[in-house]
Amino acid sequence: MNFFTEPLTLLTFFPLLGVLLLLFIPGGQKNALRWTALAVSLITFVISLWVFFLSGLYDASNPDLQLVARHPWIQVAGWNIEYHLAADGLSILLILLTTLLTPISILSTWTAVEERVKEFMVFFLLLETGMLGVFVAQDLFLFYIFWEFTLVPMYFLIGIWGGPRRIYAALKFFLYTMAGSILMLLAILWLGIQGGTFSVPQLIEQGGIPANIQWWLFIAFAAAFAIKVPMWPLHSWLPDAHVEAPTAGSVILAGVLLKLGTYGFVRFNIPLFPEATLKAAPWIALLATIGIIYGAAVSYAQTDIKKLVAYSSVSHLGFVMLGLFALNPEGLAGAILQMINHGISTGALFLLVGMIYEQTHTREFKVYGGLWKLMPVFGTLYLIVSLSSMGLPGLNGFVGEFTILLGAWGAGQSGVFYWGGVWFAAISALGVIMAAIYILYMFQKMFMGPQGEVVDEVKKHGHSLRDLNWREIAVIAPLILLIFWIGLYPAPFFDLMAPSVNKLAETFSAAALALR
Amino acid sequence: MTAAQIIFLITAAVILGSAFMVVTTKNLVHAALWLIVTLFGAAVLFATLNAGFIAVVQVVIYIGAIAILFIFAVMLTRRSMTDTGPGLNRGWWLSAAIALLTFGGLVWLVSGWGGFTKAAPAYPSGFDAVAALAHALVSPEAFVLPFEVASVLLLAALVGAVYIAFQRKGEE
Amino acid sequence: MPQPQDYQTLLPVIVLAVWACALLLLDSFLIQRKGLTACLAAAGLAITLGLTLSQIGRSSSGFSGMVVLDGFSTFINALQLVSGLLGVALAYAYVKRMGIERGEYYTLLLFSVVGMMLMAQATDLIVVFIALEMLSIPLYVLAAFNRTQAASEEAGLKYFLLGAFSTGFLVYGITLVYGATASTNLSAIFAAASSTSNLLLTIGAALILVGFGFKVAVVPFHMWTPDVYQGAPTAVTGFMSSGAKIAGFAALLRVFATAFPAIAADMTDILWALAAVTMILGNLVAISQTDIKRMLAYSSIAHAGYILMAFVPYGNPAVAPVSIAAGLFYLAAYVITNFGAWGVVIALEQPDGKGLQISDYSGLFWRKRGLAVAMTVFMLSLIGFPPTIGMVGKFYLFRAIIDGGFTGLAIIGVIASLVSAFYYLRVVVNMFMREGEQKIEREFWLDLTWGAAAFLTVAISLAPGWLFYLASAAGLR
Repeated sequence: MNFFTEPLTLLTFFPLLGVLLLLFIPGGQKNALRWTALAVSLITFVISLWVFFLSGLYDASNPDLQLVARHPWIQVAGWNIEYHLAADGLSILLILLTTLLTPISILSTWTAVEERVKEFMVFFLLLETGMLGVFVAQDLFLFYIFWEFTLVPMYFLIGIWGGPRRIYAALKFFLYTMAGSILMLLAILWLGIQGGTFSVPQLIEQGGIPANIQWWLFIAFAAAFAIKVPMWPLHSWLPDAHVEAPTAGSVILAGVLLKLGTYGFVRFNIPLFPEATLKAAPWIALLATIGIIYGAAVSYAQTDIKKLVAYSSVSHLGFVMLGLFALNPEGLAGAILQMINHGISTGALFLLVGMIYEQTHTREFKVYGGLWKLMPVFGTLYLIVSLSSMGLPGLNGFVGEFTILLGAWGAGQSGVFYWGGVWFAAISALGVIMAAIYILYMFQKMFMGPQGEVVDEVKKHGHSLRDLNWREIAVIAPLILLIFWIGLYPAPFFDLMAPSVNKLAETFSAAALALR
Repeated sequence: MTAAQIIFLITAAVILGSAFMVVTTKNLVHAALWLIVTLFGAAVLFATLNAGFIAVVQVVIYIGAIAILFIFAVMLTRRSMTDTGPGLNRGWWLSAAIALLTFGGLVWLVSGWGGFTKAAPAYPSGFDAVAALAHALVSPEAFVLPFEVASVLLLAALVGAVYIAFQRKGEE
Repeated sequence: MPQPQDYQTLLPVIVLAVWACALLLLDSFLIQRKGLTACLAAAGLAITLGLTLSQIGRSSSGFSGMVVLDGFSTFINALQLVSGLLGVALAYAYVKRMGIERGEYYTLLLFSVVGMMLMAQATDLIVVFIALEMLSIPLYVLAAFNRTQAASEEAGLKYFLLGAFSTGFLVYGITLVYGATASTNLSAIFAAASSTSNLLLTIGAALILVGFGFKVAVVPFHMWTPDVYQGAPTAVTGFMSSGAKIAGFAALLRVFATAFPAIAADMTDILWALAAVTMILGNLVAISQTDIKRMLAYSSIAHAGYILMAFVPYGNPAVAPVSIAAGLFYLAAYVITNFGAWGVVIALEQPDGKGLQISDYSGLFWRKRGLAVAMTVFMLSLIGFPPTIGMVGKFYLFRAIIDGGFTGLAIIGVIASLVSAFYYLRVVVNMFMREGEQKIEREFWLDLTWGAAAFLTVAISLAPGWLFYLASAAGLR
């Protein structure tokens, strides 16, 4: 098949075509720029749907890597680097999430980004290519390039269109993430040299890395991913980045970029270093549990909505990590679904926050109040998203968290968590309750009670708060739809990933058995 | 102790002493004169090593040309023959310490070397060092390449020197 | 009589030397417009480059083992000629703007390239020494080329004094090596070294290392670098920072790998420490710089440290070829990136010396997109960030180090890169995220230089295979 018509190549690099188009549109024609970017990202979304569902090229019941695009790339002087893309049940949902969130984010910038629209859209589409590349790359070298590359556009998105402390936040984001990935670089080199290939499936198949070296490699990879997730105690860049980033940046940051870290664990750490994974499982679970409780507790103390959501992300991603390292099908499937859920709910929350911020220019929720009467549509949507984020049964968050807790409980009983036992699951369950507290507290402050001072503040400028318009509702609607769909009928989503997840858990339990 | 060793020790002492005077004396002409003593000492060393030609070259070029040029330059450009500034800067003790340390280190390292007791191989009879040197300089079997490159090098240095020193119209 | 083979071995060097002499005469007596001198100099470099490329795959030795032609020297010579061409391109408009347009500039530059090329081919310490002088003396003059500026004169003088000082170390080292092995020929030294006591040889090798350490600006012999890089005309700095570095490293590699494997056990530790200290100190001090030229000077010191890493496993025959190839690739990557960065600096520099602060880059992106994007590419490449050639170079380099079993050094290297991200990104922050005004010089050859460098920095990183191949095929004879 021709290089560019390989489905995953096409999907990954299609946004670059948009970048090329944008370069030819003069910077003054803002609407043309917006429409072009939106169209390109929508087509990318359609391509992703076509690739996975309509074309018949992807077989969801097959647990192996599919849609393989594999070509020799650098094959000289002892290097064995390939251009190798593929997808399986572990990545398919994340790819779809990426292609869905990008057009939504672009649509959300319609009025929010008035300055330097062209550059904004260029960086955004570059970012999409980078993220898709991370999810489909199966060669460590290629993966590393995409992985690092996602930093650059995000750095500019925060640094140019961000809030008052944007430069500090952008630099912190960049340096933190880079600090982790440079250690991963050395580990990648070690694997590539010793294994004779950079191909991930091949390395997994070969196996045979001595246990003590596995441990170091595991730590090096985990350093990169844990910072990105971010796991407690490496999370301090996240609130800064979220608060300063523009709305669309926050959506993508929370929705997709953080998932790069958790995805990295499930794609690389767990299958590549099974013995080290077993050894590390209780420790990671411990950190995850601390993160869940810590994130929830700190969220309660926040008064800035974005900061609150940022810390709640630390808590939610703690659940994901707990599920991943339960190392059983329930835990892994729940964790992957929860990655999607978090992307949808938190993304939606950031979008809603962005919409109100555009009108009020403040994110301190204590100055709001009584918005329910003024903005009923906004309030309703906000309520649904909040409830989804705290894990109300019938909405998506519940499905993910419940499955994860099931998995963690099982892992505790089967001894994967060693000394931790079922305590991790038990304590983490507290996190769900704490989430209900801080989210409802925020909701109550914003929408109930007497009218907040911000309402008058806005009136002073000659206009009053308006409810959401059609564009804004259109932005949020697909996410609301998914919240209900996953909440009420999650089976299709589980079916998509089940074969791959089962395969991973199976090979895993085989390795675990061999060890004991 | 052999005569050669005694001569070496005396010459070495003279070289070191005069070199020290070069950098410490405040009178520039005196410094240049001390430099001549140093260079002459080096010529003596060459002579004791059977390198007669080099010794002569040393005297003719370094003393006869370069040191004399120094004296001319000093006399033509300076109105006062004594340097009035301080001879040492604040960091002198540091550099002295580093120099001593390096010297001590080298002495310590080299003292373990076995080459001191070896006798130098004798020249074959009828060996003409000057002729051998001359041949070596222009023979493709030996040093013709460095010899030729050195001439290009000197040309480049000449161009550079002219450019740096040449005063053009309109410049002060 | 010298044989034809002798001349063939040195053909490009001889052609360029003759061309330089002829250009000197033409420029003095015939040429009125100095732009023509520049074009002729570039033509000479281009012709020599063609000759050098025609020598790919050849291997011979000439002048009874004084010089050699092999894959290594061809690679280095091609690199030197490219950097000579880029040096002319950078200077072409710059010297006019600064009011120092003189024909000698180009002749001296050619002489310097002659020395650099000879250095890569030298297999005798005497030739190494002469070649080093051949490349250095024109550079001293070029550094002081802007005679009316005190800073430039100071740079020239400082460079000269410290250069002479370092040559002293080199000659002392050569003498001791000669004393230990009774030869200045590298392979004869190698043969003698395995049979005699190695103490003098080790001291001699260490002194030679010090001598080259000054040339390539390795800590602790780096003190001259920031002042000279800052004071010298920027076009000279750009040329000097790659040309002199490549030449120094090329000679160092050849001398150590050919003559001194016997004392690798001692040298490896020294090289390890020098590389580590250079990377750390260079990057740390660069953080506090506010002048772009000084910042790039410290950055070049830090990069000397990275390149020095490639030397550490030189005594291990299994790894040495990989590490030499990695070093060569990194040098090539550095040349491209470095010239691009200096090109951008020149585009912003004003005749009155303004435009050289990092803060002068504020808002550059919103004035001149291409220039700022190019500079961003160069900064990312210097950090070692994808998708740039600098990242691929680091990848290769760290592979060699890990292969050789020096994981500790590799970790120091990546941490140093992280530190460096901080100050390189500051330039990017200024260009994109702050507001400012600046005057930008537009000039065809200059624009071409940074434009092509930026393109290559990205393009080669996506298809590095051929350069990997060339670097790995460029073995020592």
